[in-house]
Amino acid sequence: MAATGRLRQKTAPAWPSSAVTMVRIAIVLVALLTWEGLARSGWLYRDVVPSLIAIGRAVIDLLSSGEYYFNLGVTAGEIGVALTLGGLSGLVVGIALGANRYLSKAFESYLYYLGPTPKIIFFPIMIMWFGVGPGSKIALGTLSCFFPIALSVAAGMRQIDKVLIRVGKSFQANTAQMVTKIYLPAMRHPIINGVRIGFGVALIGTLLAETKLSNKGIGYMIIQAYAIFDMPRMYAMLIVLFVLAIGVNALIGRFGGLDTIKHR
Amino acid sequence: MSATGKPMEGREANPADAILVADDIVVRFETPEGPVIAVDNISLTVAAGEFLSVIGPSGCGKSTLFNVIGGLLSNHQGRVTVAGETISGPHKSIGMVFQEESTFPWRTVLDNVAFPLELVGMPKAQRGERARHFIALVGLDGFENRYPGELSGGMRQRVSLARTLASEPKILLMDEPFAALDEQTRLLLGDKVLQIQQQLKQTTLLITHNITEAVQMSDRVLVMTYRPGKVKRVVDIKLPRPRTSEVVGSDLFGRYVAQIWSDLREEASRGMRDEEAHALQEPPS
Amino acid sequence: MSAPAYSHRLLAPPVVGLGALILFFLAVEALIRGGVINRFIVPPPSEIIASFERVIVEEDILNRFLLTATECLTAGVMLTVCGVTGGVLMQRYQLLQRACETWVAAMASAPIVLMYPLFMVIFGRSAWTIIMIGFIAALPPVILKTIEGISGTRRVLINVGRSFNLTPRQLFWKIQFPAALPTIFVGIRLGLIFALINVVGVEFLINFGGLGQLINELAERYDLAGTYAAICFVILVSVLFFMSLEKAERWLRPVD
Repeated sequence: MAATGRLRQKTAPAWPSSAVTMVRIAIVLVALLTWEGLARSGWLYRDVVPSLIAIGRAVIDLLSSGEYYFNLGVTAGEIGVALTLGGLSGLVVGIALGANRYLSKAFESYLYYLGPTPKIIFFPIMIMWFGVGPGSKIALGTLSCFFPIALSVAAGMRQIDKVLIRVGKSFQANTAQMVTKIYLPAMRHPIINGVRIGFGVALIGTLLAETKLSNKGIGYMIIQAYAIFDMPRMYAMLIVLFVLAIGVNALIGRFGGLDTIKHR
Repeated sequence: MSATGKPMEGREANPADAILVADDIVVRFETPEGPVIAVDNISLTVAAGEFLSVIGPSGCGKSTLFNVIGGLLSNHQGRVTVAGETISGPHKSIGMVFQEESTFPWRTVLDNVAFPLELVGMPKAQRGERARHFIALVGLDGFENRYPGELSGGMRQRVSLARTLASEPKILLMDEPFAALDEQTRLLLGDKVLQIQQQLKQTTLLITHNITEAVQMSDRVLVMTYRPGKVKRVVDIKLPRPRTSEVVGSDLFGRYVAQIWSDLREEASRGMRDEEAHALQEPPS
Repeated sequence: MSAPAYSHRLLAPPVVGLGALILFFLAVEALIRGGVINRFIVPPPSEIIASFERVIVEEDILNRFLLTATECLTAGVMLTVCGVTGGVLMQRYQLLQRACETWVAAMASAPIVLMYPLFMVIFGRSAWTIIMIGFIAALPPVILKTIEGISGTRRVLINVGRSFNLTPRQLFWKIQFPAALPTIFVGIRLGLIFALINVVGVEFLINFGGLGQLINELAERYDLAGTYAAICFVILVSVLFFMSLEKAERWLRPVD
């Protein structure tokens, strides 16, 4: 319709939410039943598809073991430090690139093209530089999340309404004030999005490093379970891990106040 | 013209000549604020070969009317007939030209214009020839193998027009096709459309908000009220054709424009007051 | 913002960027030779460059590259076919879309690659583990972008189709799908990049395959310079792949 019309039609919802829920339940049920069927059929080698009951038991065992929480703490700590280091450096670099056209043209494309590369392959170098302990895992996590955060912040800087920057300068704000009172608040969205992605890749980087070479952490536990072929335990750990990852992701989004931002 | 020198009020076209008849169209919408009547008992007729403009203020429901006549909106009362046949969806005798960008960006100009011919299964060689004819008609010969992305806005609208014309509709239905263009392009395109219309003796129904355009191009102008849209007046434009710049600059032309403007101004003011009231009702963000 | 006029061509940003990088490597070289940086942890850049040739020749780089490329290609074909089909089906059956779209979005941010031990159990330490992880990890963006592209067809183009009385099938194939192609290609590009990253990563982790496995092997042999060289090579391949995908996408989108 022509842009002149100011009528807002109430669009009829195509499907009631109850139908949607039913379809979801149906899909989940079919999946679970197929799984259990496969598990009991004995088609696949021993425990490749363990019974749901076994998995359920393993989950409970896991969540009630102190060992799990210890390792979770180790991994969470590594990811936390990685995110902090990568986040701060990404923020600083992103602001510098976003604020300065010249720097952006000189260096940003390196970040842009080096971003989508497999960082796990740097792990041998990290081990050489930081040893076989948590240091190398943190280093890899930092390396992983630095790029998306820096690029996100740089893009966010450029999208700040120019007039806000002029307002700050007209009040003779110094750099620190500009950053804390204008840039950061104006960039809340891109920063949160960058951190979300950063969390995702830091998680992957840290955990993969743990599976490769470690004696602590969730990654270590996963590869251990594989080594002794304790499949229900491995499934349990993966399930809990995924639930946690999705949960943290949602939390970051919520914390960023994304759903409270009103759109004109 | 009557003895007093005032332009005559228009009458409806003789039903016997009418090729398009809209009878008592009422369109009601459900909005979050309650039911709104967009179009309130509008009737109009268009004779074969005639150029009718429908003009009204923003928000008067003229685009709704366009969608009803084009068969894109079936939730209405009243009926639309084409050569006596009641329509129940887009009718093959009605060709629509939309206000927004509507060329297919992934097809060349030639393939865009040949689209309706493709649909009826015309063989490729023949399609190409007919399409070229219409491309030349809108003055875009030489651009057959370009993509719309390479053309200007005005040229793209010409491609859309050629595409619709290629289906050789009995009635050409246009919804503010020049609204998105700058004034000069609009004037030039307007001339071109008029030229084509005269050449093809194309029955045309033009929806517009531009008074000068309406008076310049039409045989009759139907003025709509603000929402709920009703027919306020039908003005018979008794200006000679071709509508040269002399005609456009004449006193009589000016009087037609003035009369239509005085009708529209009332409705446009109502529209503005209504919008202001709406804005006040919205909670502050 | 007016473009700054560079008084000297030499100070053009890309030149400065490259220059800074070269200076950095020269500084590292100097620091290593000076003994400030331990050369058993960081080999001098000159040594790394020298071992490029050795690595390329001795380690059969071409075949390794082809192996990695084949894995990526297989995963790529699978994710294109399944992703686009999945997206089309989901867009078509709105109920399915509303039920599953958030799940697919959640999967997009889920660390699929962490399940590689599981895939090893199912597929063994083989190319299929690598391909399947690349495929599954890269699937969500293709599906999501396909849905986005088809649903996002401009209203007026649909109206044009309706005004010509197209059947729903004609409307889909002649208007919605072609209109969605640019967005679908963005999804495929994203998918291919994820696929490459995961393929190389898993190759490294399970010590099987082409380029990723090479890095692992050289590291285990304590061939320092070789490891660095191999990593550089893989990064180079990755960057070139990304650039060519961008070019391909721009070429397929002449109209924007």
